[in-house]
Parts: sequence; C-alpha cells; structure tokens
Amino acid sequence: MKGLTSQRRRLGAGSSRVVWLLLLAALAFAIVGCGGGSKSSGKLQSGMGVDGAGGKKGGTITVLSQADVDYIDPGLAYYSFSYEVVYPVDRPLYSYKAGSTEVVPDMAESAPEVSADGKTFTVHMRKGVRFAPPVNREVTSADVKYAIERGFSASVPSSYAGVYFGGLEGVPSKSPATPQPISGIQTPDKYTIVFKLTAPSGVFQGALALPLTAPVPEEYARKFDNKKLSDYGFYQVASGPYMIRNDKAGKINGVGYTPGRKIELIRNPNWVAKTDYRPAYADKIVFAEGFTDVSVMTKKILAGTGDVNGDSPPPPTELKRITSDKKLNKLLFFTPTSGGRYIPLNTQKPPFDNLHVRKAVAYVLDREAMRKTRGGPIDGDIATHFIDPSFTKKGFEDAGGFSYDPFPSTNHAGDVAKAKAEMKLAGYKDGMYSGPKVTMVADNTPPGSNTAKVIANNLAKIGMSTSIVSVTHPTMYTVYCNVPKKEPAICPNVGWLADFQEPQTLLDATFNGKSIATVNNSNWPLLNDPKINKAMADAAPILDAKKRYAAWGNIDKMITETAAAVPWIWEKFPGLFSPRVIPAIQTWNSGSPDVAFMSVK
Amino acid sequence: MESRNTELVNNAPRPTGPGSVISRLFRSPWALSRGLANSSMFRYVVRRVLWGVAMLVIVSMLTFIIFYLLPSADPAQLRAGKGATPARIAEINHSLGLDKPFYEQYGIYMKKLVLHFDLGYSYHNEVSVKTEIFSRLPVTFSVAIGAFVLWILLGIPVGVISAIKRRSLLDRFTMGASLAAISAPVYWLGLIALFLFSSDIGLIPLFGGSGSYVSFSQDPGGWVNSLILPWFVLAAAFAAFYARMVRGNLIEVMSEDYIRTARAKGLSERRVIFRHGLRAALTPVVTMAGLDLGALFGGAVLTETVFNIPGVGRFAYQSIIDSDLPSIQGTVLFGAFFIISANLIVDILYAFLDPRVRY
Repeated sequence: MKGLTSQRRRLGAGSSRVVWLLLLAALAFAIVGCGGGSKSSGKLQSGMGVDGAGGKKGGTITVLSQADVDYIDPGLAYYSFSYEVVYPVDRPLYSYKAGSTEVVPDMAESAPEVSADGKTFTVHMRKGVRFAPPVNREVTSADVKYAIERGFSASVPSSYAGVYFGGLEGVPSKSPATPQPISGIQTPDKYTIVFKLTAPSGVFQGALALPLTAPVPEEYARKFDNKKLSDYGFYQVASGPYMIRNDKAGKINGVGYTPGRKIELIRNPNWVAKTDYRPAYADKIVFAEGFTDVSVMTKKILAGTGDVNGDSPPPPTELKRITSDKKLNKLLFFTPTSGGRYIPLNTQKPPFDNLHVRKAVAYVLDREAMRKTRGGPIDGDIATHFIDPSFTKKGFEDAGGFSYDPFPSTNHAGDVAKAKAEMKLAGYKDGMYSGPKVTMVADNTPPGSNTAKVIANNLAKIGMSTSIVSVTHPTMYTVYCNVPKKEPAICPNVGWLADFQEPQTLLDATFNGKSIATVNNSNWPLLNDPKINKAMADAAPILDAKKRYAAWGNIDKMITETAAAVPWIWEKFPGLFSPRVIPAIQTWNSGSPDVAFMSVK
Repeated sequence: MESRNTELVNNAPRPTGPGSVISRLFRSPWALSRGLANSSMFRYVVRRVLWGVAMLVIVSMLTFIIFYLLPSADPAQLRAGKGATPARIAEINHSLGLDKPFYEQYGIYMKKLVLHFDLGYSYHNEVSVKTEIFSRLPVTFSVAIGAFVLWILLGIPVGVISAIKRRSLLDRFTMGASLAAISAPVYWLGLIALFLFSSDIGLIPLFGGSGSYVSFSQDPGGWVNSLILPWFVLAAAFAAFYARMVRGNLIEVMSEDYIRTARAKGLSERRVIFRHGLRAALTPVVTMAGLDLGALFGGAVLTETVFNIPGVGRFAYQSIIDSDLPSIQGTVLFGAFFIISANLIVDILYAFLDPRVRY
C-alpha cells in the first residue's frame, strides 16, 4: 500500500472523540485477544509419541503456514516445512513413523546389510510400489540410484548430498552439469541397491532416511534435469500415499502447487497400502500458505478453519493463553526441535582467543533472561551443552543429560563473581575487560534483537562494551556469520538443528576444525581444536550405535568446556491442532505435523 | 465593479463537464491525429513517456545498486542451504549469473527485459517472475479498484457535507472519525476487522476472513465476500484523507469571489456548490486519486499481507524476506510503471479538467 505522506498526517487535528474511538477499538481488540476459557495450571504437553492413533479414513486436513516450501523437488528440499510435504509424497529408503525418532524401512524392505569393514551397505527394496501418474510403473532400485546421482549435479544442487553421500566411491569432485552415474551406487537387480563407501561411516544409514533417496524415474525426469536448473519439482512423480495434484502431463505448478499460496495433496491412485506403514487417513491435504500473522493463524486453528500450524509457532501471548486454558491446552504439543541456540564466540580473534575470557562469558550470561526474550519456558529448556534432549539415548545422556553444566549459576541467571575470576585468570587485573569494543552482528527484529541486548547488558558486567550491527536474519548468516573473513566476535542469533537423529549431524559441521569453510561456514566459533578434531575423526566411522553415541556424547562435553560457544536454549516447537483432528507429529522433524498419520475425527 | 466581477468569473476554473472533455478527445479522427502530431500536447505526451521510460531504467538501476551495495543476504547461500560447500555455492553463483560484476548482471537483465520482456526467474523457487506477477495482477486490481470505488464514494460526499455543514456536530464527528482512520495503521485495522467481522475467527462472523480470496471467475459472490473487509480497511485511510481534502478545498473555493458573484447572479445554492464550487475543489482530488490508484496497482502490501490475499503486494513482501532480487526487481518495476503511468494520465486529464493548464 502507498504510505500516507507526512502531509496527510499533518492534516488532522486533535479531538477527544477520536481518543474515545481509539479506546473503544482497543477495548474490542482486548476482548477479542483475551477470549474466554477456564484457567488451569498450564502444564505443557509433550509432542513425543503423538502418533495419530485411532484415526479414521476420509476428510480434508488443512495445514496453515506463513511461507512456502524451500523447494518442491525432493532432491532439493531441506527445510522442516518442506519435509511435511515431501514425506507423504516421496518415499525414501528409510523414514520415521509419527511420534517416533527411530528409523524404519520405507522403500526398503528391511534394515541395510552392512559389510564387516563398514564400507558396503546393501538395501533390499519392497516390491509392488508404483509411481503415481503419469509414470505409473513399479519403482525399482535404478530409480533410487538416479535420485541420489542427480543430487550431485549442478542442475539439482542438493544441500547435503556432498555432506552425507560424498563418501560414496566415484562421487565427482566437481559437479557435472547434469546427472551422471556414480560407480559407488550399484543395482545388481531391480530390488537391490548397493552403496560402496571409500571409508566406513556411522551416519550413512541415517542419511538413507533423507528425501534424496526417494525414487525419481530417470526416463521421465531426465528432460527436466538436463536443463541448467532442473524443474523436475514442477513435474514430480509421487511414490507415497499422496501426490501433488497434477495434470495429464504431470505438471503440478499452477495445478496442485501455486508457489506461496497453496499445495494440494490428493491420494496417489497407484499406492498400495500393504507396501507402506503410513495409514494415510485423510483423502486430501491442503497446505494453505501466506498466513503472515501468526495470531490469525492460531485463531483459525482454534476455530477449526485450519487444522495445524505448519511452519510457525503461535505467538507467545497466544501460547500463554492456550496453556492456561484447560480445554485448549489439550490441543497444544511441545516437541524438542533436535537442536538449539547458542552464542558462538570467535576463537580466532581477541579477546575470545583466550579460553578464560570465553569461560567468563559462559559464566556471566543470564540464560534465563535470554530465554525470556523468546517467550520464556514455553520456548524450551535452558541448554547447558549441545546435544539436545530429543536424543535421549542417542548421545544426550552420554553427554551428561540435564545434570551436565560446566558453567553453573543460580537459576541460570549468570555468576558475575566466577566470571570476574576467569577474567583475572585471563590477565585482566580487577576482573574487568579493558580492551576495544566487541562486535556483534544481530537480527534487526525481535526476538533476536532483544537477545542481543540482553547479551550486551550481561557483558557490561565484566566491563565488555559491545558494538551491535543490526541486519536481517538471512543477512546476518550469509554476509557475516557464515563468512569467516567478515565474522564478528559474537553472533548472538544463530542456532542449529540436526539433519537426522545422529549427534554427529549436530556437532561435526558446527565444531570440527576441518569443517571451517571460506563461505557458508557453520563452524561459527571457528573452533579448530586438534583434540576435538581427532575425537570426531575417531567417532565418525564407529558402526556400533551405542559406542558411537557415547563417543559423540564425550565430544559434546569437550566442546562445551572450550566455551567456544555458549548453549542457552534447547528449543521446542509448539504444534497446535484444531479440535476436529487427531494429532500426529513428526517428532524426528522438529515437531512438525505428520499429515500421513493425522485424521479428521 | 461589474467588469471586475465578470472577469473573475470568466477566469475562474470553468466547469468542464464530460461533454466538453469528450468533444476535445473525439474530434474527427483525421483532424485529431493531424492536430495531435503538431500539438504541444502531443509533444508533451511523447516527452513524458520518454521520461517515464528513463525513470523506469533509473528505478531498476537503483534497485540493483541497493541490493548489491547495501548489506543484503547472499542468494546463493540461501539457495544452497546450510550444508553446501563453497564449491557448490560457487556453482550456484555461476548458474544464477551472480559471479559476474553487478553492472554486467544489470546489463543482461535489461537486455532480456527489453528484447524479450523477460523478468527472469525467482532465485527462491525458479518460478518465472513475469508469470507470477501477471497471475497476481488481477488479484491486486480487485483489491485496489474495489477500495478505490469505496473511498471515492465515502470520501467525497463526507467532505462535501462537512464543508457545507461546517462546524456542526456532524462535521466534527466525521472529521474526528477521519482523523482516527488516517492514524490507524492498516495492519492494525486489518487485524481488528478480522477479529471482529471475519466469518472464521470474528466475534460477529459476517465476511470472508484471512486466506479466503477466490477469483471473480471462480465465484463472483465469494469474490465480493472475501474482499469486503480488505476493501474497507484499505479504503479507510484514503477515504478519510479525501474527505478532509475535499472539505478543505471546498471551503476555500466557496470563499472565492466568483462564487460570491455566482450567488449574486441568483443561482441556487445547490447549483453554486455543485456546478461552481465542487468542480473546482475536485481538480486536485483527481490528481491524488490517479496517483493513489496507480500506487496500489503496484501492490497493496500491508492489506494483502494481513488478509493473505495472493496479490503482487504479498509477492513483493515475500520476495524481500527471501532476498529474491529478480522478484523484488519485477515488483518494483511494475509498481514504478503504474505510478508513472498514473502520473502521466492524471496530467493529461488535468488539461481537460482545468482549462488554465496548458502544455
């Protein structure tokens, strides 16, 4: 809308009636905002184990979201919300049931056979799974092979192909323009696929649950993938219980998918229920996008005109209202996001190249105050290390669980005395910093901007003044914090989520010295500790899950004690379900709704 | 005295009804074309069109410069995702042409735009920007034209009544209300409207709510129902402003000597107000109305965002969030095009509405 000019504003003159009108409007707003409902103690319900049990067939489910998927192509999708759409439509080799974080066979028939040297993974695939129209034929191992190969091409630039599948034999060092065969993926028969790695990998099995392994029919997709940038996503073929509504030619763009507006899933007519573990109760699923105002989104869900929040949590005010209402509280589930937020300190520059200064920061930060900037306890538990509670027996407990806190303080409010003691050990006589200002690059909007202010106030307690550069969230990452040359001393608004339930996916890219990259770097503290690097190199190939989790749990402790980054919150995602549906949650996917398990009551 | 008054009346902005405008526009086509080619008006229009094109080039250039010189998110990293290696980022930069100097990128963009009317593809989801904008234009037109009709229908009569009933209770009430409407931010007013009157979450469920938009061809009734609240919300501030402007103009015009003369000649008060006063008072309103409507055709960003209406404004908003330069560039260019066009049309109309104006 055209903004009102200052000339227009000057036209008005004061009037007491206007004040009354404004007061009346404010009152109306307050009435609408407050709502009714009985009060309760407001205990938060966990989203773990919410699996949609007791559902029945039929009906339409509507998922409301602020934004669109990052990519509609399963080979490119890399965002929690995108996975909500991808997993009911495209079946990877392995995946997860609703409410669980355990990997189960999906397109695969059983768990992979792993060779004694840990370098060969053989997967037997299900028979009788068919592609949706217009392809219609049975899915074979060649389709999975092609799906992974296309992820290494320049036309389908997958974010994670190199990270998790880069260890396959024959992976090109430079991306070919279009998909090319990879010798490390072999298909001895229609239903068997063999992966040959150059070195054993403890996370490879977990990576087989990523959507890159969902089958793509080469004879159909090749013409799209041979373009400079593939547009297969707009013509994709489903293998799951649902498909994005398409026309006869297979086109979904403008049919079942309107970018930024709507994604419409209908039943895949070729889906055979006995080949899948998904119940697929609903006949139709609509992802209605563009609900920028989350309070409107929340009210629509409570009114039953939307069924669940797809990508954004309800606002803190609404969350508090819902949790304190006995009836509404039953509709809300908090699920750990498999990750958290932390404050990386640039270990390559003064003053944070000094361990004791970093420890002083870890002591002085008031994590409780920081958590309040994001809504308080409803946003999550205060973090004291990096592997989050959703990894219960997969490294969280090995890292000391909730009791491990190397920088404790009463109520997590910070301990100035201990911080000053560390500053003295760092060489600052009276425990107060005396160097130049410390730079921070922070979000220019709440809640991130507020978190940065709390940090600045906390650091002032040890004499550290800060200079804050405020930019948009993507700019903060891509221009400053991800680029070591431009990286400030502190990036107060970063966070990391696991790609799947392996602690390596939380710690390797973010704290391994070998992961430091000139651009798109995720090792924000620029930590390059030879002991930690070696511990990671030793842990990565461990095939025994228990031993692997123990090793990464120990690495978590080692990292935390360097105070290269100060963890402060293990976030939880609040999923709000309308009263008309039976909820189901992808607990493995940051608490997103699982539409393949949800149903209309 | 007599001659002075007559002169004033003759020099006053003469009412130029539709008939006179039409007669100017529709002389014989041959005479018109011959006349136009030689007329100063024609030269003026050509000059303005050329200036408009130059302005669009400047706007596009500025958008590019702002995107590249000010801190703005890196599209290649956003597209690549968190796990991508620097080599992969470099490949994406290359495939999107982002590894070229920005002036070269600008040259390529302009070449495609001029030769093929190609606005490029979204960095975010590879959708054609031109297709996306054209698919959203009817939606934005629906929002803008509906609101425009409303604010004209509300603003002008309220302004006239307030001017005629100056200092009355009615005048004070309407002007007070207009002040409130001008002061209320659109997004706030939008939320209030939704929470009070939308059929899904409103206290008094009457009209379509957020995300209820359907196209006219799909369901005319649903189209109206889905747009009633956005129309009123968008029109509120404009109507209020127009009411205040019409009131001020009319009060000023009604104190002119030629109005006194008209009254002295024995014309009825209604005739004096509507034939002599209002027409003169409305001339600046035409200018404003044209510009405002032109600006809204470029996208009613806040209204479309609050009501989740899939128009150009919401597309612009999302493009900015995504640091999606081709989409930002496309929406800015369209917005600028509509504003420049509206400006030109208004200026031409002005010559017909106000005979004192010559080009």
